[in-house]
Amino acid sequence: MTKIIKTLLALSFISLSVFSTFTNATTDKPTIIALSPHIVEMLYDIGAGEQIIGTTSFADYPEQAKSIPVIGNYLRLQIEKVITLQPDYIIAWKSGNPSDDLARLEQLGFTILYSQPNSFADIAKEMREFGQLTGHKTQADKKAQQLLNELEKITSQYQNKTAITAFYELWARPLTTVAQGSWPQQFLNICQAKNPFEQADLPYPQINIEKILLTPVQVIIQPLSVNQTDREGFNWQDWPIIPAVANQQIIQPNADAMHRMSMRSLKELKKLCVSIDETRQWLHKKNALIEH
Amino acid sequence: MNKLLFMLSSLLLLTFISAIAGLHFGPADISSNQVLQCILGSCENQINQMVIWQVRVPRVLVALVAGMGLAIAGAILQNTTRNPLADPYLFGIVSGAGLGATIATLSLGDNLSIALPLAAFLGALFAITIVLLIAKVLQRIEQLLLAGVAVSFMLGSATQFILYFGEPFATNRVIFWLMGSLSRVEMNNFYVIASVLLISIIIIIALHRHIDALLLGDESAASLGVNVDKLRLLMLALCAALTATIVAYCGGIGFVGLMVPHIVRQIIGVTTLKLVIGSALIGGSFLIWVDIIARSALPNAEIPIGIITSALGSIFFLFIMIRTRNTN
Repeated sequence: MTKIIKTLLALSFISLSVFSTFTNATTDKPTIIALSPHIVEMLYDIGAGEQIIGTTSFADYPEQAKSIPVIGNYLRLQIEKVITLQPDYIIAWKSGNPSDDLARLEQLGFTILYSQPNSFADIAKEMREFGQLTGHKTQADKKAQQLLNELEKITSQYQNKTAITAFYELWARPLTTVAQGSWPQQFLNICQAKNPFEQADLPYPQINIEKILLTPVQVIIQPLSVNQTDREGFNWQDWPIIPAVANQQIIQPNADAMHRMSMRSLKELKKLCVSIDETRQWLHKKNALIEH
Repeated sequence: MNKLLFMLSSLLLLTFISAIAGLHFGPADISSNQVLQCILGSCENQINQMVIWQVRVPRVLVALVAGMGLAIAGAILQNTTRNPLADPYLFGIVSGAGLGATIATLSLGDNLSIALPLAAFLGALFAITIVLLIAKVLQRIEQLLLAGVAVSFMLGSATQFILYFGEPFATNRVIFWLMGSLSRVEMNNFYVIASVLLISIIIIIALHRHIDALLLGDESAASLGVNVDKLRLLMLALCAALTATIVAYCGGIGFVGLMVPHIVRQIIGVTTLKLVIGSALIGGSFLIWVDIIARSALPNAEIPIGIITSALGSIFFLFIMIRTRNTN
């Protein structure tokens, strides 16, 4: 009996010491303020989510991210709150955070690192950098490699497919699409969807509906955000003259997943390519039937 | 005289209380005792020290001098043009500053901490120069405000055209910059605004009797030996410099210059000296309280300060209109 008690006590001490080592290891890791939803997602992807002590509005994925204290939005940061939280690092989104607030924080002695992924390869690169920074190098390297492998697989799967004409609806009012230099354009390129407005001067040009009526659009991509309360996009049903509308070829992917540069956007790329390919096959069958 | 002294002492006390209150409110949870300790130079920790001395003190001081400056500019413009609707913002100053800020934000991208206020200041000066030139050509003071409105729309459309072709995030930042905020201010900004304010006050006090003469009409003022055109041009340039400096650091803060002098006329007096002192004290206190609301009303975000001043200002404006109608 005494032997059993002694063994149990010894086991308890061992588990306690293991637990305390683990806890210390977690607390020893640097604390981070992540200033955009995509940075938060990236940090959770590499296993550093628990080290985030502050973020900006709309950082709602994964579910645990909703409980991170909010210290501002993409227009204004609450400098006082940042000072109170005393993070080891602030990871900011170069084009999506107020540069004057960041300059102020740098002046106050905070270390700021920047995230600016313009392609899937950039996501992998930044994941590795953040892994090194947060003490999760192994998982970050693994995830980054996984992302690149998956991207390679999707790209090669669709690269020889026939391109179909797609209209990408970024916003409904005013009707806005994407062009070269924008984040969603690479989704269209990889899935072999031809964007008739790719060569526009602006990355996010506003488009007159007349222009779309003159273009034989075969599929409409209408990403909707789960945060959109009305989930209302452009009412395409008013324009049955557009082939995509007549054929009911309107795809509605998750806008948050597509537009946030993280592992989730790769999953959404995969889904989008599958949907576009379904349209492609449907059109192929339809054309074959007409010819027959 | 006793009543006037009592009013001014009360306003001075109000300004002092407002400044102290401004140091107490903010997203960081710091008790009154800790704030007091920090002010007396013995902060409990480094975090409190940083929050009080590097964030709250500059904000309160800039709110004080910006409120004073805008209210004084409004009071002087109303008296020199004899138009109760005159407001520094009606002379295209914000539109000019907006154009400058837009060009700087979209062409420079980063490192805007010095370039943005400088570009906004130059834009504001550009706007007021056009208005003054038009006024000189027209030689009619009643058309000065109309010229200001036209210039304002002209520069506004130029800004919107540039914004349309800009990067979406940069565009958003400019739009929100125009709504005004004190969150980016530093002690250096306070020194600059305070210097321009001090020079303006000294010149106004030196010329207050001349400005008072303008209230009697241009002919009467001229018969009293006042060079009406020169004085009006000087005052306009002074108000423009003062407002442009404030807008450069704080963005667009509307209605303070319109609203505060009307309150002061009701409770203190209409002559320049009384009006300027009263406007300075009420304007300064008002902007401190507006900034307190801006940073404390929402738990995780700040409200742009111009939204609050415009909301309060428009209600006040309607109130004045109804009151004037009833009096008539």
